[in-house]
Amino acid sequence: MSSPIIYEEEFRVEGGDFLKAGEASCRIRAILKEIGIDNSVVRRVGIAAYESEMNVVMYARLGRIRLRVTKEKVFLGVDDEGPGIPDVNLAMQPGYTTATEEMREMGFGAGMGLPNIKKNADIFNITSTVGRGTNLEITVKLNGDGRN
Amino acid sequence: MEEINFAHSIRVDENKCIGCVTCMRACPTKAIRVRNFKARIIDERCIDCGECLRVCPYHAIVPITTPSSDINRFRYKIAIPSPVLYSQFGQNVTPDEILTILKEHGFDQVYDEALVCEMTNLAIEEFLDENKAPRPIISCTCPVVIRLIQRLFPSLCGLIIPIEPPREIAAKNLREEVAKAMSIPKEEIGIIHITPCAAKMVSINHPETLEKSFLDGAISIQEIYNRIMMKVKKSKQSVMLRSQNQFSGIGLSWAIAGGEVKGLKYYHSVSVAGVYDTIRILDDVESGKLKNIDYLECMICPDGCVGGPLTAENRFIAKSNVQRLARIFGDKEQVDQYLVKRLYREKFFSFERAVKPKPFPPLDTNRDEAIRKMELKEATIRRLPGIDCGVCGSPDCRTLAEDIARGDAKIGDCIFIDGKGKRKE
Repeated sequence: MSSPIIYEEEFRVEGGDFLKAGEASCRIRAILKEIGIDNSVVRRVGIAAYESEMNVVMYARLGRIRLRVTKEKVFLGVDDEGPGIPDVNLAMQPGYTTATEEMREMGFGAGMGLPNIKKNADIFNITSTVGRGTNLEITVKLNGDGRN
Repeated sequence: MEEINFAHSIRVDENKCIGCVTCMRACPTKAIRVRNFKARIIDERCIDCGECLRVCPYHAIVPITTPSSDINRFRYKIAIPSPVLYSQFGQNVTPDEILTILKEHGFDQVYDEALVCEMTNLAIEEFLDENKAPRPIISCTCPVVIRLIQRLFPSLCGLIIPIEPPREIAAKNLREEVAKAMSIPKEEIGIIHITPCAAKMVSINHPETLEKSFLDGAISIQEIYNRIMMKVKKSKQSVMLRSQNQFSGIGLSWAIAGGEVKGLKYYHSVSVAGVYDTIRILDDVESGKLKNIDYLECMICPDGCVGGPLTAENRFIAKSNVQRLARIFGDKEQVDQYLVKRLYREKFFSFERAVKPKPFPPLDTNRDEAIRKMELKEATIRRLPGIDCGVCGSPDCRTLAEDIARGDAKIGDCIFIDGKGKRKE
């Protein structure tokens, strides 16, 4: 079922480092463009990667994003060491946020992160352990149904 | 794949170029290489921003615009100057006077674009009213921004506002009006833009969103500057108290960065100028960061069109002149809202076709090959010194590594690598 990996790279994301926030997702987009991945896929993966990266920066101590490209799909695996999410279903509700006032003043934490990742993914899985961290599995199919 | 036209509005004059690498290092899209002491523009990477034109110490980068003499092939000649023209001759000259002098330059008619700029503001608001998503919608006034999006940010093509820029709208309207009023066949009417940049030539000769441009050419402000200035100096210095005609203060502001969004009253908009800042903000748009912004104005030239490479006046003075004119004419609306609404509904302002992505070529069209080349590129980067000297003829070490991966250069081109492929000590 799973085809061989044609590209793989891992990116480290520091929690709390707003200055560097966005660098990993920017790099991911550049790689996908360079190897000729379709624009609409680059856009969807880019948004999912950026939102994931921002979640790590805002809430976790440390995280990593694994990018994996096969002939059929682009996969992002996001793991963080952070507080975890007590109620995943609630966190998936658009507009639900635990962001601090300061974060929201800076324009972050509108409660659209996870819903937006889900919207842009063909397959999306989230698991979280309170006190340990959160894991996201995001798949965007390369020759998918053209959903944007 | 369909044939893509990469024609440009600048070229290298090989007689003047000495291969000094200044342009190559200034190029924001890394579209220039120096080979055999001559600069070469890579057509599919160039976006016509004109950065090379600004920095070349030898004037070896030549803009391609319409020569003044070319207008004589038309029976009826109309000039539509960019509002930037009004800012080029000091504070005491009215737009009226400039238009009058310009007309004596060999035109049968001159037409003020500022009014159409104001109309376009209303059309943009109509569009934003009607289309609540997606966001942000991006301005299409600067033709280089369109090219930049097509090449570097192809996934954002759908965010470009499908409303023609004022110069095209003005020309479209004039051609119909004049043809009817004077019974002249449309093709015998020559409509020429007076432009602060060469990039408009690309949008005229190879329009992205129209079957055929409504303009027939673009003469640079620099080309006509001296002759207008001579006449301005000769005519008695009239202190500008009142212009005979009322000009649109809202429209005049389009000559400077922030001018286009100034006319949008009901929407959250942002204005960005300069090629590097534009690339940065489009990167943020691609991340999905700016979804809460309705309208994004991007101007490739610093301070907007007054900073165009083919202007004559220093852009800071020009900007101040525009601001002064806008104050004098005020921001009272000059345009009939209902007329604009009707024209908008009739799709008078609309693109004939959408902007198509034209992404930079990937390292290889075969994905496995592309990945192999990317690995080669990364391995090569580690072998290069990373000081970006440009002596090899590529703008920096990263780009040399890419050129090597594509087969367009070799590791020996680096002056820090010896004949055996080893780093010199």
